Amino acid sequence: MNIKNDPLWVQVMKKVRTWARLNSIWAIHFNSGSCNGCDIEILATLTPRYDVERFGIKLEGSPRHADVLIVTGPVTRQARERLLRTYEQMPEPKFVISVGSCSISGGVFEGCYNVGGAVDEVIPVDVFIPGCPPRPEAIVDGIIQLLTHLKEGNLPPSQTKKLVEQVPA
Amino acid sequence: MNIEQTLQTAEQLLTSWNKEATHPESNRLDILITADDLRPAVTALHDARWGYLSAITGLDLGVESGQLEALYHFCNGPAITTLKIHVPRTADDAVLPTIEDIIPPATFFERELHETVGFHISGVKSMDRLFIPDDWPEGVYPMRADFKIEQAQPVPGRHADELPEEGVVGGNTFVVPIGPQHPALKEPGHFEFTVDGEIVTAARMRLGYAHRGIEKAAESRNWIQNLYLFERVCGICSHVHTMAYALGVEKLAKVEVPMRAQAIRQIVAGLERIHSHLLWLGVAAHEAGFDTLFMYSWRDRETVMNLLEQVTGNRVNYSANVLGGVKCDIGAEQAKVIKDGLDFLETRIRHYLEVVTTDAMFLNRTRNVGTITREEAERFGLLGPTARASGLVRDVRVEAPYGAYTRFPISAVTAVNGDLEARCEVRLNELLVSCFAIRTLIDNLPEGPLFVKVPRKIPAGETISRVEAPRGELMYYIKSAGGETPARVHVRTPSLCNWVSVLEKAVGRQLADVPMLIAGMDPCFSCNDRVVTVKHSGQQKTWSWKQLREYGIEYYNR
Repeated sequence: MNIKNDPLWVQVMKKVRTWARLNSIWAIHFNSGSCNGCDIEILATLTPRYDVERFGIKLEGSPRHADVLIVTGPVTRQARERLLRTYEQMPEPKFVISVGSCSISGGVFEGCYNVGGAVDEVIPVDVFIPGCPPRPEAIVDGIIQLLTHLKEGNLPPSQTKKLVEQVPA
Repeated sequence: MNIEQTLQTAEQLLTSWNKEATHPESNRLDILITADDLRPAVTALHDARWGYLSAITGLDLGVESGQLEALYHFCNGPAITTLKIHVPRTADDAVLPTIEDIIPPATFFERELHETVGFHISGVKSMDRLFIPDDWPEGVYPMRADFKIEQAQPVPGRHADELPEEGVVGGNTFVVPIGPQHPALKEPGHFEFTVDGEIVTAARMRLGYAHRGIEKAAESRNWIQNLYLFERVCGICSHVHTMAYALGVEKLAKVEVPMRAQAIRQIVAGLERIHSHLLWLGVAAHEAGFDTLFMYSWRDRETVMNLLEQVTGNRVNYSANVLGGVKCDIGAEQAKVIKDGLDFLETRIRHYLEVVTTDAMFLNRTRNVGTITREEAERFGLLGPTARASGLVRDVRVEAPYGAYTRFPISAVTAVNGDLEARCEVRLNELLVSCFAIRTLIDNLPEGPLFVKVPRKIPAGETISRVEAPRGELMYYIKSAGGETPARVHVRTPSLCNWVSVLEKAVGRQLADVPMLIAGMDPCFSCNDRVVTVKHSGQQKTWSWKQLREYGIEYYNR
């Protein structure tokens, strides 16, 4: 019998994967037209006062090495394709955190001619962190909520949403 | 020379093309000229070294009038001379001659003028899209009065950013693309550096990823809503943006802001400068590979963030300004907290000053890198600390004091070398000056109310408001038609003028110096997102990846 099909092996491997994933989240930051406010708060969460590295979270440069995509700002026309491309380059499983009011709804920029709207109209989003900009504590809390959700063996919220939508009426 | 004499000199210089001269405000001179006379008039001002070109504003005067208006603002200390040109709105007639060969930074302003208002600029070297997407339809201009958002449907078959493919250019040269998503850039911008080995031979950039269309949005929001919209032009210098806007609107409404409110505005602006420069120091150190300094400076920056939160209640978008004053007071308890915080910051800033001038590794990355002479700084039209590091005093707080700076003057910090080290020194020394200024303001805070009432409808008129942002001169042109919403607000941010320093100075340097050069001007993409510029030196041909691959296969089969 192939060990890979052994139920015990599958279960152990799943546990190891979850453990590893939860303790070494690599994030990539994408600014899709933000005013900088959220970006500097994200940077502040990485620096000594808030220090998200204690949760194993590290900012990563390449989308191909990243687990989490942190998006700030309303999606401008020019950033839209780039955002999609960055998301598609990330390996599975991938999670998206949308930071700031404008990435959730367009915020003050709603209706501007070069703004397409919210991030979740372009890519599926797992965690929304509201605020203009959200405080670093709020950003840390959002990331921890995602981790807690995954720890319990759940699917990422965006995938759950997709499954619900697929249920015939 | 006082303001009247300075303006008289300008009027004499321009006398042969002058069709009509007006004085809309005591420090301003508007001169109506024809489009054909633009180049000689600009040359006359430029050759006499009368100030510098600060911005070009384009206005659509409406479908009924059938005219477009272009305003070329020249600033000389507090005096502003504006060349005013009227051209018909029709596509064939709305033509202006280029002045980019006389004043190089004008190329940025002209591109903006062309894309947003629809002026055609004759004689320019490149007409690539600047800040609006490449799939934007031809002949549709967002700042025109009759623009409808439905007109801006994407052109099928085109990408929003049509970028030339990277690859071998010919010989040993190679194009290295950077951005829009890149670990060295916290904000989106795209750069292409053509390198021959390690040496950069050409630089090109494409911005507009953060272009949101705020100036158009301002026309559909009322005067008070706009205060919060302009706060979000940039999250790093949000306070100075609202200050420039509020100062302009208050001038139009002819209200006198109480001195206490002006002093508190200045205190918040000073704290914002400290946060912005410490942020910059960290990012610059990070680009140089000095992550320890990055972490330390950001740790200390949290002290000033606490002070800002203490005073205004917010960490980033402070909303300290209201039209007619401020909405937060500084009491005795807060004054003590601020002073204690400044004590700590001053010792840290002195320490950083020592680090950036003595650390051998850091000096290797900054000393004699990207040196800009005083003459070049003047020719490129640089602003703020980037200009002051070359010995050119460009500081609105000193040249044309506004608000509380009329009562609490400040001294300009300059250096002579013009390299990256000088820019570090200028910025850090500026922080010491800011700390001193904040202390003086707190100790001598004038008594009085915090704000005065500003009418809901602002009287018709137009004004120019200039303030010194952490990155340089920030300029707002505000026009009111007497209604509840502005007729036109034009924003010219300092980063827009400073880009030339990167693109000119990258050529001939090693590719590894490029991140430091970009960081050296403290770019703010969200502020200036509107421009592209091209500088090529003898580029032959761009090869696509496909061609390159075919060439490779052919080469190895030989």
